[in-house]
Amino acid sequence: MTNINTSGEKPDKISEINGIRIYNIKSDKFKTNTINIFFEDDLNINSVALNALFPSVLRRGCKGLPTIRDINLYLEELYGAVFDCGIVKKGERQIIQFYFEYVSDKYTSDGHRNFERAFEFLLNIIFNPHLQNGIFNEQYVEQEKNNLKMLVEGRTNDKVQYALDRCYELMCREEPFGLYEYGTARQIEGITARELYSHYKEKVLTLPADIFITGELSDTDTEFLIKRIRSIGRKGQKALSAAIVKSLPGKIKYYEDKMDINQAKLSLGFRTNITAKEDEYYALLVYNGILGGGMHSKLFQNVREKAGLAYYVFAGLEKFKGLMIIGSGIDIKEREHVKELILKELDEIQAGNITDYEFKATIKSLETGIQSLKDSQLQIVDFYLSQLTAGTHDTMEALLEKIKLVTKEEVIAVSKKIQLDTEYFLTANN
Amino acid sequence: MKIETIEYKKYDEMVYKYEHSSGLKCIVVPKRGYYKKYATFSTQYGSVDNEFIIPGEKTKTKVPDGIAHFLEHKLFEQKDGSVMDKFAALGSRPNAFTSFNQTVYLFSCTDMFKENFDLLLNFVQNPYITEESVEKEKGIIAQEINMYRDNPGWRVSFNLLDALYKEHPVKLDIAGSIESIGRITKETLYKCYDTFYHPSNMVITVVGDVDYRQVFEQVEKNIKTAEKVSGIKRIYPEEGEGLNKKYSEQIMPVSTPLFYIGFKDSSLEPEGTEILKYDLAVKLLLSAIIGKSSELYTKLYDKGLINSTFEMDFSLEKSYAYSMLGGESINPEAVMELLVKEIKTIRDKGLEPSVFERLRRASKGRFLRQMNSVESISRSFINLYFKGVTMFDYLNVYDTIGFDYITDVFDKHFDIERMALSVVKNR
Repeated sequence: MTNINTSGEKPDKISEINGIRIYNIKSDKFKTNTINIFFEDDLNINSVALNALFPSVLRRGCKGLPTIRDINLYLEELYGAVFDCGIVKKGERQIIQFYFEYVSDKYTSDGHRNFERAFEFLLNIIFNPHLQNGIFNEQYVEQEKNNLKMLVEGRTNDKVQYALDRCYELMCREEPFGLYEYGTARQIEGITARELYSHYKEKVLTLPADIFITGELSDTDTEFLIKRIRSIGRKGQKALSAAIVKSLPGKIKYYEDKMDINQAKLSLGFRTNITAKEDEYYALLVYNGILGGGMHSKLFQNVREKAGLAYYVFAGLEKFKGLMIIGSGIDIKEREHVKELILKELDEIQAGNITDYEFKATIKSLETGIQSLKDSQLQIVDFYLSQLTAGTHDTMEALLEKIKLVTKEEVIAVSKKIQLDTEYFLTANN
Repeated sequence: MKIETIEYKKYDEMVYKYEHSSGLKCIVVPKRGYYKKYATFSTQYGSVDNEFIIPGEKTKTKVPDGIAHFLEHKLFEQKDGSVMDKFAALGSRPNAFTSFNQTVYLFSCTDMFKENFDLLLNFVQNPYITEESVEKEKGIIAQEINMYRDNPGWRVSFNLLDALYKEHPVKLDIAGSIESIGRITKETLYKCYDTFYHPSNMVITVVGDVDYRQVFEQVEKNIKTAEKVSGIKRIYPEEGEGLNKKYSEQIMPVSTPLFYIGFKDSSLEPEGTEILKYDLAVKLLLSAIIGKSSELYTKLYDKGLINSTFEMDFSLEKSYAYSMLGGESINPEAVMELLVKEIKTIRDKGLEPSVFERLRRASKGRFLRQMNSVESISRSFINLYFKGVTMFDYLNVYDTIGFDYITDVFDKHFDIERMALSVVKNR
């Protein structure tokens, strides 16, 4: 077996050209390499649907490969390379992602340098779309509007996810964070091909962007990469806003939706008043772990295992904006009972009732989670993209070291800053 | 200790195999440079195994639907409390799942592999089931059944299986029904455990940066049973080639209808690498007919009849086989009509050989991609292990599968008379 070289799954910054930062994460333990290009924008009511739509039109065709079929024939020839694009929401940022994964050269035997082909393809998709009369193909735009509308309207299919997203959106309905990253059906309907094309052109030339390449890059590859990025005529860079971190505005808000369902979902949204940029963030991570971050957690042990009142119950953080959510799937009749039990566990932590088992298991579980990220190219990239978005500079090792230094006292201090903001209940008709 | 070593030099992969005196098989796939160590302990026992003859007995035993899954839940409880807590103390992530044909117990860890592996080996071998805990579990599983009843994606696929099969238990929910789990008792659980959790019916896989010798030594030390037993006779109902029904529809709150089209396949019980060959052929055919690079896909997409949720798969087991394809569609009947038309055209004109060269290359690349993940390596090994082959045997099949064979499989599998449609839509 050959030796495996890794750089500890850390990114090396290769260059920054016209607002595009380029990183390489070396590792040869994977059979494939990946290229990710992210464009970052503020979540904004006027651009959210336009930003969500244009990548799906770009995905339909580019110069030389004008149809989905042409693109897929090309990908299949390239040993079944995978290409996709999508939208990611991180705090109050809307991030447009273009993704390419291809088999490493050492496992293909045709002597081609696959990086060049892959990178050229992605740039072609982003910067040379298939046009008709100088704008996007109208048929493509109409079809992708329909697809996006279907996706937006189909959100309710996954009740578990929907009950979480909906709680956050209602909680932050006055803030950019309350926007759904794919827009609304109404916003999508009004978009024209002309409007979308000029929006797209402005965005790809002005939004800050990050490129992450995983796998081995030769000097020739790097040279090629830099030359190609320089050749894009970018015009200066848009400055992005920081996320709004609000404290409790006053009364707790209550919302309810009814659907034709058998199992109810109770979501509780909290303001932690701590974002990833603050020193207290590491204690918050531990707090969240003790409360609802796995099988050792108070919520799992007491609400699910002991009381048998929930099929699932967990707590999760939104580190960019300083929020926390508790999600649960419960019997319709048990709403008040479950809420009472959940809130009791928050009080327990505030009162300092944290066992050694809960504390140690949480730290160990966070360690396993962070170490495990290193076995997935997508997760490594997502981790470092999140660092950039949050404005933090932790490597995985640094994050882990800081978590290990957290004390129980710090966790208790953090627990006192957390405030319930919104209660959301998804229940049955009748 | 007799250890078999297989090297796949071209792909930088190795496999180590060892068999315990009880008949338990153990497989290690080392992944250098990986942080996760992923171990599974599985029995060839799933939701379809509801009727069987226990080794040494003469009469048939019939048990309630959903019992394999129920047993999976119960095994996590031990005499001294929940084994979950012990894994949690090590920071590792135990889990288990029950499929149609297997129950799999597993953990993923990045540290203290030996301690974690000991826990896994021991809890799976030591059931502790009380009448009280069985009753309590019924409430928890009823919640789980309810949760899946609300999941349109789950419903649309099970409704398809219900349409394809008249009798075979593959048509039933893996967790059973609230009525059937109500009939489960401590005694039936132990009976099923004693029958199906004999090491000769089980396999262990470990994938990650581990020393294979230490893994095998740990297995040797921890397995309590020393002798093999004769095989379990599993009984499946007479199914036949015909469908239960051609169409299934359920009303649920979904914005866009969900659909699956399925083909019931009766060319059953291929053995060894023949399984891989047949499996690959059907998958290549699905890609050729309606995959993203096909003319039909483009036509359906351009008409707005399918979107990026469209997917397809093929399952091949000893007692059943089917393919399914679907996703969201505003008009599932129209998708089916165009598919039928395409299949008829191929029947008249034949398949295009050049397409398969490209699809084979693409499929092989995507197969290599799976080897990036310890979870997917493990899953493939377990699935194929009970069929007597390994994941890496695919690599030979890719290089040897021929066009004539693919043509034969097309004729057998894509039979419009054995095609059904399942739809979930709004009122």
